[in-house]
Amino acid sequence: MKNLISVQNIKKSFKNLKAVDNLSLEIKEGEIYGLLGSNGAGKSTTLNILLGFLTPDSGTALINGVDSTGNADEARNQIGYIPENVSLYPYLTGVENLDYFCKLNDISHSPEKLEEFLDKCGLNKEFHNMRTETYSKGMRQKVGIAIALAKEASVYLLDEPASGLDPLASNELSALLRKLASNGAGILMASHDIFRIRETCNRIGIIKNGELLKEMDTSDVSTNELENIYIEYMQN
Amino acid sequence: MIDIIINEWKSLIRNQLFIYSTVFFVLSLSLVSWMGILQQENQQQSQSDAQKHVRKQWENLEAMNPHRAAHYGSFAFKPLNILNAMDGGINDITGNVLQLEGHVQNEIIYSEASQALSISKFGKLKSSLILQYVIPLFLIFLSYGSISKEKETQRIKLLVMQGASIDKLVNAKSISVWIYGLFLLIVTVTIQSILGSTNSEIFKRLAYILLSYGLYYFIITSLSTFLSATLKDKTSALSSILAIWILWTIFLPKIWGNAVEKVHVLPDRKTFKEDMRAERNQGIDGHNPYDKRREELKNKYLAKYQVDSLSLLPINFDGIVMQADEEYGNLVWDKHFGSNYLIMQKQKSLYQLSGLLNPFASLQSASMGFCGTDMIHHLDFLKKAEDYRRVLIKALNDKHAYGGSKTGDWKWTVDSEFFKSVQGFTYETPRISNHLNHYLMDLLFLFCWALLIKVLIRVNAVKINVL
Repeated sequence: MKNLISVQNIKKSFKNLKAVDNLSLEIKEGEIYGLLGSNGAGKSTTLNILLGFLTPDSGTALINGVDSTGNADEARNQIGYIPENVSLYPYLTGVENLDYFCKLNDISHSPEKLEEFLDKCGLNKEFHNMRTETYSKGMRQKVGIAIALAKEASVYLLDEPASGLDPLASNELSALLRKLASNGAGILMASHDIFRIRETCNRIGIIKNGELLKEMDTSDVSTNELENIYIEYMQN
Repeated sequence: MIDIIINEWKSLIRNQLFIYSTVFFVLSLSLVSWMGILQQENQQQSQSDAQKHVRKQWENLEAMNPHRAAHYGSFAFKPLNILNAMDGGINDITGNVLQLEGHVQNEIIYSEASQALSISKFGKLKSSLILQYVIPLFLIFLSYGSISKEKETQRIKLLVMQGASIDKLVNAKSISVWIYGLFLLIVTVTIQSILGSTNSEIFKRLAYILLSYGLYYFIITSLSTFLSATLKDKTSALSSILAIWILWTIFLPKIWGNAVEKVHVLPDRKTFKEDMRAERNQGIDGHNPYDKRREELKNKYLAKYQVDSLSLLPINFDGIVMQADEEYGNLVWDKHFGSNYLIMQKQKSLYQLSGLLNPFASLQSASMGFCGTDMIHHLDFLKKAEDYRRVLIKALNDKHAYGGSKTGDWKWTVDSEFFKSVQGFTYETPRISNHLNHYLMDLLFLFCWALLIKVLIRVNAVKINVL
């Protein structure tokens, strides 16, 4: 299996604060990796390095073999990104927002195809052509997922993707990510939602103060066990 | 790029506040342009009536000595270019009636500001006021948050991830707002063309106006968007661009204007008149028969006609003396007024140089120039009126000298047929192609500013942090 995401010994500090400390991880085709940690653990910094928005002090971050720092544009081209808060253009409809973000990437989908993406992400049909100023956070999140999906990327980076989603939509998101992985995508999902991580990912890494403390296969732990391990690491 | 522009416009036109503001601007510009043109036409009509009345009076003068008619004189009314309705320039404070008579060059009088307190205090409401002050402010309000809003909502990460570079985003967003400025500009120019009388010269001037304002709006929107991208938040971007706008429109023009007057000092009116009078007194006194220079001229003419007494001359020597006096006076005037003219030209050039620091100064100068209401156009009118005065007085003096009367015959008269034969004063605003050199510096500075900001965006775009 090919490594789609490869992070080797990256370090990143902001003044005296170590945000990421010698972190290494690899994500292969078909794998969903959950980066579990509390607020300020270094999850978002790691994602921002992979997205090419931050340069690590040392170490390398590769997306499908492309250096995300030195060749950010090419690396980004292969990434579908879903932020914690998807901010859309409020005066545009869901379909128009999706269409616009696709066009930025030089992708032109038919209106039917755009609606199909929104359907796939669980956005109720009646909202497709309504302005997103009327959308709830969860609905905006679904459009954000559709934007990433429509890019048909090989790598997906998700920052608290289930934030604001109702349980049903979260479950649908998990199913969707699993489907993407089964088609060969590599997915990195940063979250502090133990249940969602356990439900969605194949592998889990616990991060604290920028250090990757433990990695495990999801199949090896139940949700309760994972919660206990997590609490133990957070308290020590 | 085009997708970003379309998206920006979609968002704008679905915003009710934007629609109401646009309706307000279009109505204001239409109303101000229409009122300006109406006022212009009324003023033009009054001037035309006055000019006709003056001409009629001239043509119906009772039989009189030509020199007496020279003292009676005539009037030149400064016609207003139709684009005066768009930008009044200095027309409100300079006069618009010039009395033309023998021996003396009068000052132009009856400025509108001298007759209306509101004009002297606030100026007139012209579309230039809206185009130069209000619309740029609105463009600033539309663009100052364009990138910082994307940063604050973190949407910029999504945009960059989808392939939009910061450079492309800044350019596309500033162009979107710029297009709006152009739209309002085109509305004004179109209303001006429809309601006002137009010809190819007016169209040429309007094209230059469109170019100058277009460049200025481009500078404002690009700078505002650039600050929005580089500064930390919306508040910093807004306060910075407003500070720059205030500096450009309020402080720098005044500071630079005062400095210009200190560097190239115009003599005060009293000194100018005293110097003129002193030098004029050194010439022939046309009304003093014992003047020394008059004697020299007399001897010259006696020798020319080979006679030994003025009474034997076949011409009227008084007319010759009057014309010689006039020509000497003209030389004195040319010297002193010419010197003032040069100083004013230098002042204008130095003021135009402020465009290096302040594109608003270049815009103002270009706007007045292309509307035909600046100092250059005013001086052109004064020069043409003075040229006509010289032709008129020479015609009268020549008639006095060679019309058939003898020296000392002050009771000799000419009738209205002669007065009718003297052409009246007509003036046409000069063609802009002949005066374009005066405004090239303004256009050049506006262009350089636009280019500079483009380069700033290009160079700094890679350094802009999206987080």
